Amino acid sequence: MTTAEVIFDDISKFYGEVLGVNRVSLRIPPGITSLVGPNGSGKTTLMNLLTGLILPDRGSISVLGVSPRDPETMMRFTGYATQYDAAPRWATGFEFITTGLLLFGCSRAEAEEKAWKALEWVSMTEAAHRKVAAYSKGMRQRVRLAQAIAHNPQVLVLDEPLNGLDPLVRAETIALFRAWAAEGRHVILSSHVLQEVDVISDQVILIANGMIVAEGEIRGVREEIHDHPSQFVIRCRDASRIAALLFNEDHVTEIKLNDDRQGMLVLTKDREQFARALSRIALAGHEIDGVVPADENVDALYEYLIGGGR
Amino acid sequence: MTATISFRARQACTIARVELRRAFFSKRSFWVYLLALFPAVVFIGHGIEAKIDRQRWSAKGFTPAALLDGIKQGETSEAVRGRLGTPVSDEKWDHRRRVLREGSGKDSEPRVWEEKREQRRRLTYFDGRRRADLWFENGVLRSKSIRPLLNLEEDRQVFAGLFQYFYLRLAIFFGCLGIFMNLFRGDMLDKTLHFWFLAPIRREVLLLGKYAAGLVAAVVIFTGGALLCFAAMLWPHDPGEVQVYWQASGLSHAFWYAAAAALGCVGYGSVFLAAGLLLRNPIVPAATLLLWEAINGFLPATLQKVSVLYYLQSLCPIPAPMDNSAPAFIRMLLSPAEPASHFWSVAGLLALTALVLVVAARASRRIEISYSTE
Ligand SMILES: Nc1ncnc2c1ncn2[C@@H]1O[C@H](COP(=O)(O)OP(=O)(O)OP(=O)(O)O)[C@@H](O)[C@H]1O
Ligand SMILES: [Mg+2]
Repeated sequence: MTTAEVIFDDISKFYGEVLGVNRVSLRIPPGITSLVGPNGSGKTTLMNLLTGLILPDRGSISVLGVSPRDPETMMRFTGYATQYDAAPRWATGFEFITTGLLLFGCSRAEAEEKAWKALEWVSMTEAAHRKVAAYSKGMRQRVRLAQAIAHNPQVLVLDEPLNGLDPLVRAETIALFRAWAAEGRHVILSSHVLQEVDVISDQVILIANGMIVAEGEIRGVREEIHDHPSQFVIRCRDASRIAALLFNEDHVTEIKLNDDRQGMLVLTKDREQFARALSRIALAGHEIDGVVPADENVDALYEYLIGGGR
Repeated sequence: MTATISFRARQACTIARVELRRAFFSKRSFWVYLLALFPAVVFIGHGIEAKIDRQRWSAKGFTPAALLDGIKQGETSEAVRGRLGTPVSDEKWDHRRRVLREGSGKDSEPRVWEEKREQRRRLTYFDGRRRADLWFENGVLRSKSIRPLLNLEEDRQVFAGLFQYFYLRLAIFFGCLGIFMNLFRGDMLDKTLHFWFLAPIRREVLLLGKYAAGLVAAVVIFTGGALLCFAAMLWPHDPGEVQVYWQASGLSHAFWYAAAAALGCVGYGSVFLAAGLLLRNPIVPAATLLLWEAINGFLPATLQKVSVLYYLQSLCPIPAPMDNSAPAFIRMLLSPAEPASHFWSVAGLLALTALVLVVAARASRRIEISYSTE
C-alpha cells in the first residue's frame, strides 16, 4: 500500500555531538509546505534526511511509501534542489541537466527535450549552452531548480529556493510552485523568513534548534504565535499575596508557586500589561526581588519569525 | 529482471563516461602521468645515449674484433696503440696518492709522507658491436673490459627490476591511489557528490560506474606506460636480435608485463576505492597498505595471499634481479613469496578485488553528504 504522504517518524540526527534534528515526527500532505526556521535550526538536515543524502540515527522516513534508503525507486519521483552552491565544472547548464536525465533511462533525444523544457520553466534557455561555472549565483540556483524538476517529480524538495532571486524571477518561480501544487504534487520548501512564504504555503512547519515548534495551516500557526503566552519567574518574599494579586489580572493565564514560597512562575498573554501590573504591585509596597523572562529563546524566535528576520 | 540489469548497466556506463573525463584530466592527479612515463623516459635516455656513442665511434672506424680479443695483460699503451690504431676515446689523468716515504716511521724515525703520482689512461676501442675499455697504469695495461655497447639481456634485467621495484610497488600503487581515492573524495571536495546521490541509481551501481571509469583511465595510463617502456627498452638494440627475442619469448613477456600492470590497477584500484569510502584521510590507508605489502614476504603463506603484490609478482615473466651484496634485511623485504601459477594469480587477484568491491559497496550505502567537515 502506498500512501500519498511524506512521513517522518520519530527522527533524530546528530552530527557527532552536534544536534541536527531531534525526535521529529511529521506527516506532510500534498501541496506547498514551508519549513521555516532561523539559521542552523535544522531545515537542511530535514531535507537531506528526506532525500537520503544523510541517514537518521533513529526513526524512519517514508516518502509516498518508499524509504530514502532505496534511491533507485525514490528518486524517480523525487527532485531536490539543494542549498549547495556547486555544479560540475565541466558541464554547460544544458549538458548538466541532460546527463542527469540519462540516468533515468531516457534516450538522448528525450533527455535533451526534457532538459530544454525544464530550462524554459526557469527562463534559463538563453544561458543554456554556457558553462555552469560561469553562471551568476542566481543563475546557478535556477539551473539547480531546473535539474530538480526536469524529470517531473511527484515530490519536489527545495532548500531556500527563493534566496537570491530577483523579484521578477521570484514571482515566476512562485507561480511555478503553485502550478505544481495544484496538480496534487508535494512542494516542500524552506525559508528562514515566514513572511516570504506564508502567502503561498498551504501549511508551514516552524522549526527551531532541531525541533518542530509548530505545524499546520498558516492561519493556525500565526494565531498560535500571537496567543503564545510569555513566561516570567518572579522572586519575592510574600509569594502567595503577590500571586493572589496577579491572578486578578485577566492577561495572566497561569501561576505556579515555588515550593519554598519565595517565588513563582507566571504565564501572561500580554507582556506590557504584565509589566504595568508588576509596577503597581511594587508601588503598593510589596517587595519584589527580581523578574526574569523564563522563555526568552522561544520568544525571540517568534519575534524573529513574525517580524520577518533580516 | 534482465531489463533491470541492463538498465543498471546502462546507468553505470553513463556514470563511467562522465567520470572518465575527471579520471583522465583531473588537475589533482596530473602527477600520475609522470609516474607512468618515468621508466620509459629512463630507457629512452639510455637508448639515445647508446645510439649517439655508436654513431660517433662508427665515424672513427671500427677495430677488427680479433684485435680486441688479442690484447693481453701487461702490454703497454703504446704497443696497443701501435697495433690497434687510434682509439675512439683516449683519456689521460694523473692519480695522486700519499704514501709513507720508504724507511720513515720505523725505529722512532718521524713519519714522512710523500706524494706519489701515477699516470692513468683509458683507451676505448669499438668493433662495431662491442666496446673495449682498457685501463693503463703508468703505461701498462692493468685491466680491460669488453662488452657489447648494448646488451639486451642486461637491459631486460634492468627492465625487470624497474618494473617490479618501481612500477608495481610505487608507480601503480600511488597512481591508483591518486585516481581511485579521488573518485568519491574529489566529488566530496568539489561538493558535487549529491548530484549522483539524487539520481535514481543504486549506490552499488554508482560505485561500479566510478570504478569502471577509474579502471579504464588507470589501465590506459599504466599498461600504456609499461608497454611504452618495453618498446623503449628494445628500441636501440639490433633489429635482428630483437626479432629473435620477440619470437622466442618477447611477445609473451610484453603480454605478461602488460597483464601485471593492468591487474595491478584492478587490484590496487579496488583497494583504494574502498579506502576512499571508508576513511577520510588518504595518507593513513596508503601508508598502512604500503607497509603491509612490504612486510608481506615475512607473513605466513595464507596471509601473503591477501596482498595485491603477491599476485602481481607471480605474473612477472622474469624474476627481478637481486643484488646479493644488498643488506640481508633489504633482501628479505624485497624477496617475493613462492610464486603462484599464472592462472591462480589472475584468479586470486580477481577474487581479492571482488571481495574488496563488495566491502566498498556495503560502505557506499552508508556514506552521507557532509561537505562542511571535509
Ligand atoms: N555536516 C555537518 N557537520 C556538523 N554539524 C552540522 C552539519 N550539518 C549541519 N550541522 C549542524 O546541524 C544544525 C542544523 O543545521 P542545518 O544545516 O540543518 O540548518 P538550516 O536550518 O538549514 O540552516 P540555514 O538556514 O543556515 O541553512 C546546525 O547546528 C549545524 O551546525
Ligand atoms: Mg540550510
